[in-house]
Amino acid sequence: MARSRLTSRGFNSLLLAVCFGLSASAALAQDVVKFGAPLPLTGPLAPEAIKQQQGYDLWAEQANKAGGISVGGKKYKVEIVYADYQSNTPRAVQTTEQMITQNNVNFLFGPFGSGAAKAGSSVSEKYKVPTIASTASSAQVYDQGYKYLFGTFTPNDTLTTPLTQIVKAKAPDVKKVAILARNDLFPLAIAQEMEKSAKANGLEVVYFEKYAINTLDHSATLSQIKSLAPQWIFVTGYINDLLLVRKQMADQQIKASVLSMIAGPAYQEFIDAAGASGENITSAAWWHPAAQYSGKDIFGTTANYVKLFREKYKSDPDYAQASASVSGALFQMAIERAGSLDRDKVRDELAKINEMTFWGPVKFGPTGQIDSLEPPVFQLQGGKPVVLSPALIKQGEFKLGVN
Amino acid sequence: MLAAQVLINALVLGCLYACIAIGFSLVWGVLNVINLIHGSFIVLGAYLAWGLYQSLHISPWYALGIAAPAFFVLGYVIQRLILNRVITAPVLVTLTLTFGLDLILNNAMIYYFKADYRKLTLTPPMGSVSLFDVVVPVDRLIATASALALTGVLYLILRRLRVGRAIIAVRLDRDAARLMGVDVNSIYAIAFGLGAALAGCAGVLMALIFPISPLTSTAYLGKAFVVCVLGGLGSVSGALAGGILLALIEGIGSTLIGPAHATTLSFALLIVFLIVRPQGLLGRKGFE
Repeated sequence: MARSRLTSRGFNSLLLAVCFGLSASAALAQDVVKFGAPLPLTGPLAPEAIKQQQGYDLWAEQANKAGGISVGGKKYKVEIVYADYQSNTPRAVQTTEQMITQNNVNFLFGPFGSGAAKAGSSVSEKYKVPTIASTASSAQVYDQGYKYLFGTFTPNDTLTTPLTQIVKAKAPDVKKVAILARNDLFPLAIAQEMEKSAKANGLEVVYFEKYAINTLDHSATLSQIKSLAPQWIFVTGYINDLLLVRKQMADQQIKASVLSMIAGPAYQEFIDAAGASGENITSAAWWHPAAQYSGKDIFGTTANYVKLFREKYKSDPDYAQASASVSGALFQMAIERAGSLDRDKVRDELAKINEMTFWGPVKFGPTGQIDSLEPPVFQLQGGKPVVLSPALIKQGEFKLGVN
Repeated sequence: MLAAQVLINALVLGCLYACIAIGFSLVWGVLNVINLIHGSFIVLGAYLAWGLYQSLHISPWYALGIAAPAFFVLGYVIQRLILNRVITAPVLVTLTLTFGLDLILNNAMIYYFKADYRKLTLTPPMGSVSLFDVVVPVDRLIATASALALTGVLYLILRRLRVGRAIIAVRLDRDAARLMGVDVNSIYAIAFGLGAALAGCAGVLMALIFPISPLTSTAYLGKAFVVCVLGGLGSVSGALAGGILLALIEGIGSTLIGPAHATTLSFALLIVFLIVRPQGLLGRKGFE
């Protein structure tokens, strides 16, 4: 009997505890907006995922420091739920679905890159969860007729076209272009856009070749390029590839009026490692810390964003980190304007956004991909990136000649 | 002129490839250990050169004198304390062990140095020399000369010194060498130490030429593998021949069919060699 009473009392307290716990967690859940971020935290894309995470975390920290996101007069804390999809695109799709069905996230950030973002968007569209893809530039990601997908990168040709126009305007003697591309999704896509852009502007593409990932030596390729005497050499790849190409160009005494490299010069590591040999290399990226925008988002000016980033991570942000941060800031803007966490209302507010931010002017086109941004073209001058275009944030003049 | 330039590029690069592969070939040939930590040793050597130059302004040429003994000791200790315990086990066991050691060393380097790429840039730069429009960078030339010198030193050690003959004796017949009074465990450790020292020196030389990051270790290891198979396992001259052949194939392939297919061509050649001439160009049982 005593035992039964004890059990019954124990059961009652358990019930009470469960009820209390439930109500407490319900109260807690009401005060939090959950954002899902499926990322390739392990595997070959891990360094990129860490950059994304830094960008999201910085935004969440700033939003929470200000009390949270204001929804209909009440403040909601930001919580970002991360999940690792191990650099495996099919797993990114599963992870996205789990975040919606099991983690009950309110909104989503897309997985990394165009391929995974496109794959993941089919799930978020099915569940009608507004999603911002912060690293997907291919137009094919956005041409699926989806309503809930938005992206902060303009198409790849917006990087190459302004660059070609500057070269054409400032260096009329440039007639021949050699293009060397890393045989990898993004670098190859950029090189193909460059080829189109060069041809459209009346330049002759005298060399177009791909090099394999992990190439240790470019001497034979560069000797061939040298023999064709192009005035403009355009190379795509990542930091190690581009450093190696630059060093071997100097070794072989290859000179050109214009040398463009995407995406190395956008990173401080490249500038530090290239040293004097980086002088006058031109590049383009969706954003650069040297840009000077004054926005209405939580970060305000580009300079303030760079300052906050430096304080937190002791390094300069690049476009990948900034894109992650602005994605959060745009969600915050849309939620506050909707005055609700209702997914459809927030989606409509995202679609309506037409604001200046620290990232630049943001307005999403009919497909959901940003169409207001003019990615900066910049040139390394005196060991520093100098923005050449767009006119709004221009810092200096284009200089010819790379030795 | 393009052909001459491609040929010169390939000869210089081939010597560098030989330098990358020679230590790997020695360890594989003598110990029958496929040393997967070799690529990380090279990267560690590159960091040593970079660190000495950045912090103490010690030229990479002097860094060679520091790297060789330091890596010899490192290799000797690893062999004595860890590898010797499983040296008689099937090759898969030692392969797995060196794979594990490589993971530890590589991740430790990523932890301490980060995965960022660094570059050892000499001030003032060494520039290039040109002859009839054929240009050769001076740092590559000196690195090539150093690689040839290191190869020569190893050749002399194995040919002339008592310890070298003991290494070859162990390679030829471990049991017979033991019966002749050779301390086999000690010889194994010395051979592994020599392999590590060569990797460390190769790293110092590579630091002058290639960007430095822990992520490049697999590329070095891949080249070492191909060079060994092409040139013949455990042969000093074989490594040199294999290195030059690989660089020639890559250079010519890159010029004729594009750089994207140069690697494919070199691996196709590797397969052909494995089928037609598995002992490689100059391979034979024993070491010289």
